[in-house]
Amino acid sequence: MKLINVKNTIFLLILIFVFSSIGLAEAKRPRPVNINILMPAPFVESTLDLVSRFNDKEKGKINLKITKGPLETEAVSDLAISSLLLGKSTFDALLIDVTWLPKYAAAGWLEPFEDRIKPKDWDSLAAGARLGNKYMGRIYRWPLVADMGLLYWRTDLMDEPPKTEKELLDISLNLREQGKVPYGYVWQGRQYEGLSCVFLEVINGFGGEWLSSSMKVNLTSKESLEATRWLKELITSGASPRAVMNFSETEALQAFKSGDAALMRNWPYAWEELQKKESYVKGKVGVTTMISKENHEPSATLGSWGFSILKSSTKKDAVFKAIEYLTSENAQKEMFITNGYTPTKSDIFKDEELLASSELLPVLETALSISASRPQTPLYAQISDVLQKQLSSVLTEDKPIYEALKQAEVKTMKIISAAGNKL
Amino acid sequence: MTLLFLPAGLLIIIVFGIPIVRYTWLSFHASSVLTKLEVLPNNGANWIRILGDDRFWQDAYQTVRFASISVTIEICLAILIALLLDQKINNRGLVRALSLLPWALPTTIMALGWRWIFNTPYGPIEKIFATLGLGPLNILSNPDTAWLATIIADVWKTTPFIALILLAGLQTIPNELYEAFRLEGGGKLHAFQQITLPMLKPYLIISILFRTAQAFGVFDLIQVMTGGGPASSTESLGLYAYLNALRFLDFGYSATIILLTFIILIIFTLLVWLLASKANSIRKAITS
Repeated sequence: MKLINVKNTIFLLILIFVFSSIGLAEAKRPRPVNINILMPAPFVESTLDLVSRFNDKEKGKINLKITKGPLETEAVSDLAISSLLLGKSTFDALLIDVTWLPKYAAAGWLEPFEDRIKPKDWDSLAAGARLGNKYMGRIYRWPLVADMGLLYWRTDLMDEPPKTEKELLDISLNLREQGKVPYGYVWQGRQYEGLSCVFLEVINGFGGEWLSSSMKVNLTSKESLEATRWLKELITSGASPRAVMNFSETEALQAFKSGDAALMRNWPYAWEELQKKESYVKGKVGVTTMISKENHEPSATLGSWGFSILKSSTKKDAVFKAIEYLTSENAQKEMFITNGYTPTKSDIFKDEELLASSELLPVLETALSISASRPQTPLYAQISDVLQKQLSSVLTEDKPIYEALKQAEVKTMKIISAAGNKL
Repeated sequence: MTLLFLPAGLLIIIVFGIPIVRYTWLSFHASSVLTKLEVLPNNGANWIRILGDDRFWQDAYQTVRFASISVTIEICLAILIALLLDQKINNRGLVRALSLLPWALPTTIMALGWRWIFNTPYGPIEKIFATLGLGPLNILSNPDTAWLATIIADVWKTTPFIALILLAGLQTIPNELYEAFRLEGGGKLHAFQQITLPMLKPYLIISILFRTAQAFGVFDLIQVMTGGGPASSTESLGLYAYLNALRFLDFGYSATIILLTFIILIIFTLLVWLLASKANSIRKAITS
């Protein structure tokens, strides 16, 4: 018996050589950096193409994965916060709402990245899109899409949209009396964040202010009382149905889309919905900015979304590259055409090609230029919650206007002073 | 013997003991977005705050109202349903399985369904009233009626659960008892009073306690149906604790809310238990 079978040994050696070189090549091959961004569900669909193109471009270097969050805005925040509280989050970046930024930044979860932003990039943002990205003077967020409160109107029922609070009330009541629509004006009157958004636009349009930049609460000012009285009058006069007190965006859109209302307050996304085949009002809708009192400027509540990098991420360079790609001018143009997303870069509003094909773009530009952000403090959720509760009791006639607003004011001041006024 | 208790005891300590201790400790500290989520002692400030927090007490009242009314209705309906399901009817298995369907549905989905059922103007209830020339009812936008709507939804969902427990109880009652009662000349209604109810009592108490504790922590149903509104008239303690923790990032205060809710729940269930069991059975339990 031979101890060593030469043929077999050679075969074995070749085998070892082949496999180990394959393994070695595999080990040497640069592995892509895996990054993970959490987005609310609707954004995942609309960025699908962009993400796959980014991954093709960065093939072998970066692999961007998008985690699909829930549909509802606050549910996304709950998910993000839960993951952050557990310590090391699985996400590298989040797509966050404008009102969450101060809270997340104050909790120490976000990475400031002003040193990555070139001055010309910052200058390229439309004025309204610059709001809500900073906390304590540092940049924590880069906007993907802007969002502003708009007034939708029926072109078949009126020649011109109302400009003042009185016109809106009159048009709504007249159209109802003539039996042309069951409802005049539909908006968001449910006790939730939407009600604060509605209020901010109205109080600003009446020349008042919810919270001044020096954190002074102005809820019992003459303008604030007038604005609240008007909101209540919408319901008591019949210009708005009592049902708006439980309307969120969905219900308002449903009523307007099925032709039951003459006017609606909603966000830009409603435009695409109203152009769909099943929309009763397709081709009969105009859009403009919110009403204001005579001699006062109208205002639009800002509700934009943007990317924030998490402090816990170990791949910040790759994440920033992805954010740059997803928010580039081309990406924004594309998302405006396919999804109607409001761009954040001012150049896009001047794009001839887009202007020729879209009647919405100039309105969006105007709305963005008059947009107002909700109070930017880590305590915003509490402050808004107090206001929602009191406004809801005014609308449901649970409390007189002054009493409710006084309570909201006192409670808001309490929240601010409990924080030692250091916001 | 004590060794045999060890696994169960450990489980209870891990699942109940540790969180309670941790929450008690947290309730004496400030831990919020203002402290950058660091945990700092604050000398019982949370407890002083909660005693004067009218919103907490309003929610406590609303939660007790929700729990007591919905559980009472559920028990009454469940007895009827259990008696019905105990009869010899065609396809009994299928009927029993179908009757459990509401219980098997995820709360969020059924709450969304109820939100549309009560919706003004597109919900079916409003449509029916409108064809009769009545309405609009505006059920969910009226503080006087919105809480009733949440109770209806809760009753619809959880009655099958109680009915199931009671059905199991009914099946343990020997038929001979009823036969003997009939021979003695007792009527059907009488038999229900004298045999069925007393024999069902342990099952009733168990289901009442179960459901009370569960209804006390109601969260998802209300969050989806009304979000606590209108004018906070449907807000529960569970919702308030959630708001403080996840929306306001105030974990110290949220822990205080949860603890005080827990204490109120214990007092409340003790009261329910005292009411549900007759005085003599308590005496028996104490003397034995």
